[in-house]
Amino acid sequence: MTVVRVDAERMLALCEDEDGARSSVEIALVDPVRPGQVLLVHAGTALA
Amino acid sequence: MKFVDEFRDAELGRVLAGEIVAAVEPGRHYKLMEVCGGHTHSIYKYGVDDLLPENVELVHGPGCPVCVIPMGRVDDGIALAEQPGVIFTCFGDMMRVPGSHGTLLDAKARGADIRMVYSPLDALRIAKSEPERQVVFFAIGFETTAPSTALTLKRARAEGVTNFSCMCSHVTIVPPLRALLDSPDLRLDGFIGPGHVSTVVGARPFEFIPVDYGKPVVISGFEPVDILQSVLMILRQLRAGRCEVENQYKRVVPYEGNLRALEVMSEVFALRPHFEWRGLGFISQSGLRLSDDYADLDAEQRWPVPGVRVADPKACQCGEVLKGVIKPWECKVFGTACTPERPIGTCMVSSEGACAAYYNYGRFAREREVV
Repeated sequence: MTVVRVDAERMLALCEDEDGARSSVEIALVDPVRPGQVLLVHAGTALA
Repeated sequence: MKFVDEFRDAELGRVLAGEIVAAVEPGRHYKLMEVCGGHTHSIYKYGVDDLLPENVELVHGPGCPVCVIPMGRVDDGIALAEQPGVIFTCFGDMMRVPGSHGTLLDAKARGADIRMVYSPLDALRIAKSEPERQVVFFAIGFETTAPSTALTLKRARAEGVTNFSCMCSHVTIVPPLRALLDSPDLRLDGFIGPGHVSTVVGARPFEFIPVDYGKPVVISGFEPVDILQSVLMILRQLRAGRCEVENQYKRVVPYEGNLRALEVMSEVFALRPHFEWRGLGFISQSGLRLSDDYADLDAEQRWPVPGVRVADPKACQCGEVLKGVIKPWECKVFGTACTPERPIGTCMVSSEGACAAYYNYGRFAREREVV
């Protein structure tokens, strides 16, 4: 999924999938992310 | 899309298929197990097996999270869902898995408040929006999904959400692989290793396969080019007489895994002494429960569950399919009594299940062969 917006304080990112659907993603397990970055997301959590 | 399109390149796939043909030894039959249900889905969706020579056989493994949940565990979930005041949440596939008295969808039709969620975070959001209700999350899956559950439980605690709990049915991948390797039913030449589980656990946990059993493992991505390259890497190991863990999915999988995920899992979970797997029976230290520090968020501590072992329907051969002993179409009820619309066994429920993958994609190829 592609990062759209980051809420670093809550460790959440708004991400968009291939079809344009957006959802909140936990980013506590990966290094700091920025908009435009591509993440591997599983069950709402970024793993890589 | 970056990291996807280039791994679906048809020309590159054809080149790899040619190299695979060149790598096989004439007269030798190769049996390779793809551990993960995501691989099974991709293999049939993209027709990867059609590109392989006849003497390279892909066997499906136990890595579909929904498929390995036994019927008794579904009954436990339904018992929790039918508690007064409970909102029971689970992934969509799980709602269609049959227990001994129907599915979670059937329980929902009878009036239980059962809701599909995409992540445990969604379940926590429901708990926060309905503080007068108790929200239970039915946690399933391998090490890929477990970190998400662990983080959500930590978040629930940090935010003081007390009406949220978890029915933990997470499992780990190494014990069933060891059980399969110890099984006299199965002779395998190598493994296509689970890419996303390895993102979390890394490559190290699979080293026992070459060391103890003398079989190569290649951790693989999920696009067709990834899988073809992984097959080629296994065949080249066999041809060269090598036997080791290789990582084809380096763009995602670090050799040591995701250390933060492993840390949060070890804080929130503890190993169960044993756990029942559909078709594989009880396997020691293969399931996770909530650790003592998180026991107050354990739904099975808040309400009683039957906890009864239920035998699979006699007609269903999911166990043999999950062990790679038979192919889905060899099951007596495949595509007749058991279809994705009316599944008898779990392997026909999830898109990652071998039976559903064959039914949705592979069976057409087989029909062409028969004609």
